[in-house]
Amino acid sequence: MTAIEQLGTYVPRFALAAETVEEAWGQFHGAGIKQTAVPGGDEDTLTMAYEAAAVALEASERSRSELDRLIVATTTPPLEEEAMGSRLRSTLGLETDVRSRQLTGSTRAGVEGILTAAEAPGTALVIASDSPRGVPDSEYEQAGGAGAVAAIVGDEEGGEVTDHAARVDAVPGTRFRPAGSDETDGLGIATYDRNAYSSAVGAVGTKLGVEDVGAVALQAPNGKLPYRAAGALGVDTELIAAGTNVSEIGDTGAASPLFGLATAADGGAASALLIGYGSGDATALAIEGQIPVASAVEGIVPGERRSLSYGEYLRMRGEITTGEPEGGGAYVSVPSWKRTMPQRHRLVAGVCTECGALTFPPEGVCTECGTFESFDHVELPGTGTVEAATKIGAGGAPPEFVEQQAKSGAYTSAVVALDGPGGETVSVPVQVLGDQDVGIDDRVTATIRRIYTQEDVIRYGFKMRPLTE
Amino acid sequence: MRDVYLVGAGQTPFGSFPDRSYRDLFAEAYHSAIDSVDRAPDPEDIDEAVVGSLGVGGRQLGLSGPAVTEHIGLHNVTCSRIENACAAGGFAVRQAVQAVKSGMADVVVAGGYEVMTDMSSDATKYWLGVSGETEWERLTGTTFAGVYAQMASAYLEEYEATTEDLSRVAVKNHGNGAKNPKAHLGFSCSLDDAVNAPDVAAPLNLYHCCPTSDGAAVALFVSEDVVDQYSDERIRVAGSGGASDHVGLAERDSYTSLSATKTAAESAYDEAGVGPDELDFAEVHDCFAIAELLAYEDLGFCGEGEAHTLLREGKTDPDGELPVNTSGGLKSKGHPIGATGTGQVVEVFDQLTGNAGERQLDGPTHGLAHNVGGSGGATAIHIFEQEVGR
Repeated sequence: MTAIEQLGTYVPRFALAAETVEEAWGQFHGAGIKQTAVPGGDEDTLTMAYEAAAVALEASERSRSELDRLIVATTTPPLEEEAMGSRLRSTLGLETDVRSRQLTGSTRAGVEGILTAAEAPGTALVIASDSPRGVPDSEYEQAGGAGAVAAIVGDEEGGEVTDHAARVDAVPGTRFRPAGSDETDGLGIATYDRNAYSSAVGAVGTKLGVEDVGAVALQAPNGKLPYRAAGALGVDTELIAAGTNVSEIGDTGAASPLFGLATAADGGAASALLIGYGSGDATALAIEGQIPVASAVEGIVPGERRSLSYGEYLRMRGEITTGEPEGGGAYVSVPSWKRTMPQRHRLVAGVCTECGALTFPPEGVCTECGTFESFDHVELPGTGTVEAATKIGAGGAPPEFVEQQAKSGAYTSAVVALDGPGGETVSVPVQVLGDQDVGIDDRVTATIRRIYTQEDVIRYGFKMRPLTE
Repeated sequence: MRDVYLVGAGQTPFGSFPDRSYRDLFAEAYHSAIDSVDRAPDPEDIDEAVVGSLGVGGRQLGLSGPAVTEHIGLHNVTCSRIENACAAGGFAVRQAVQAVKSGMADVVVAGGYEVMTDMSSDATKYWLGVSGETEWERLTGTTFAGVYAQMASAYLEEYEATTEDLSRVAVKNHGNGAKNPKAHLGFSCSLDDAVNAPDVAAPLNLYHCCPTSDGAAVALFVSEDVVDQYSDERIRVAGSGGASDHVGLAERDSYTSLSATKTAAESAYDEAGVGPDELDFAEVHDCFAIAELLAYEDLGFCGEGEAHTLLREGKTDPDGELPVNTSGGLKSKGHPIGATGTGQVVEVFDQLTGNAGERQLDGPTHGLAHNVGGSGGATAIHIFEQEVGR
């Protein structure tokens, strides 16, 4: 039988408090939510997916080459066409023949992803990553959070998927996003919406049975709706409370029930009922067994959060920024960017076949002995030490970075000596995440972020953040 | 090989002239250079022109070299444009010197021009980062200020110098530039002003950064065979050195020294048969304050980590042992990229011929010009000797 062997979670460090929104709007529409997680200016559902997956893979004993399938679930992909799997495969270093699927169009996509993985043999990496938005004064925007959960699903021990149930019904108008829009919407017919939720969730839950279950991890579009299903499910609200963290991170869409599962597992639950819901449809999984949980930041809900003012929030979300300025110069074409993706995604350096020194990127001569392009390739572990650094303030960014600067403020441009596999180092220019201060000799570690977007093509690559050991 | 002599040099004011064309600026510099020669050469005497420019206001024009020479009525000359970022002018000088030394030319114009202020600040941003390592270094979100700031961070960490020492460069160079009618930012500033300026790229603040300028500068070089025909002065190009290095900082062995400067200096001192002790003054490439500190060390004016003591003790002040950047340097005189290197030669010529006005040093015979491209990817150094003395 197939089990969830490992969970990995990622929640951005930026937070918007309910009272901050209330101050700006006079009211807050995210019922039961204290604060929402906000993606940084250089984050999106792909980079969050990377963070969660990287930490899950790090914690798992599985090697990346063992993964047969990559299943990505989101309602808010960075691009409406061009699936996320290919760039995630590249950044995560999975095999090029991995079967890649993207599930979208419903917030139950995350649970569907786990079921899709469990229904077939082999080992799968399932990542649910989401960041729902709405119009500024709507429930969808104000409740909307951000985060990603990755699950390694295979035949080793963990939370066994023992049963599943589905209910597919047409309930139009409850939650939808028009074509070409970034904003999720709903007609807001309160009782109609609630009934759709309770009846679908109740139907799949009761079908699987709730006896002796350690927690119920429910789709949580806000902090109140899950508790309204307690009656339909016939469970105590404590079980529902054990399987949600929506009040601290907001509505995480396709990732929401998986965050509930991670919260339950982290709290010690040895079994759970996992229920995804979206626009009238529900999918439930019965899970038996303890699942180990790892987090990319300290705790599923980050311990140290940076609270945003409403103005900072609008900047960070790109609502009041003006984009890349007009002009030309120092253009890096997409094909030449593509050529360097092994370096930007996986830190592939050259090891000189003559002298063994590292060169990054592995082009031209060995920087140590001068031998021309005779390199073996090695993936660097991603840790390093700051050798030189400057903080780029307003007005100091080149045009490609003006939008990032406008969104997230000052950032650090540094030279970092990246660790090699055998104690040697190679120095590379790299950006340090904007909300972090680093100085010379500080230890840092790599992650994936948006570098910049040009011609509507998002360019992802590594950036550094302080290493916490 | 033949000796090469500098017989004339002139420049436009450096500043912001958005209404003027690069050809017009070049013409003014050329005529100013011609006027400085004791017996001006005829246009047909000129064998070759080498002109430096990065991009003429961010516009990547082809054939801008012949476009400026035809504008001043020089036809059928060998003309080429040199692009070595901010060292374009220094390398134009080097090419001119090589042409004369080799015997291929007797009279050569070395020039440079740039128009940088005729565009929006957004558009300006695009090309300020084009002369570094564009695929990696620039894509960490940095421009030159950031790369020099990284060098400054490493330097201040390693040695005793402070950000106040960086500000001393601004105070000294602005003090000099205030006496230079051709300076872009020809005002003096106090140490307080320079210390308390807003950050551009920490640890560098606004007063640690040179401006972007418009302007042109021209120098005239002739062979020993014809020098009598044009000049009573005997300003010999005693030494010339050029060197390259990694374009990106991260690949270099040191972040607190420019190896291209060290190498080029070694060649120039060797050829000239003089060392830093024999110099009477120097024009060094102070695009950012940290660059002037590094230059002191790389040019051998002091040991590693000691540059701040020269500043604190006033040794590079106009009345010090080795005045540096009497023109005001890039910081105050200005930095019209392609014209900067030949602009340094204009100051050297004025000082060695006694025409430096309020900035005039007392009978200097040896001067050095140091011109750096990018953050140190290319350096050209020339040492000039006044043979007749004054």
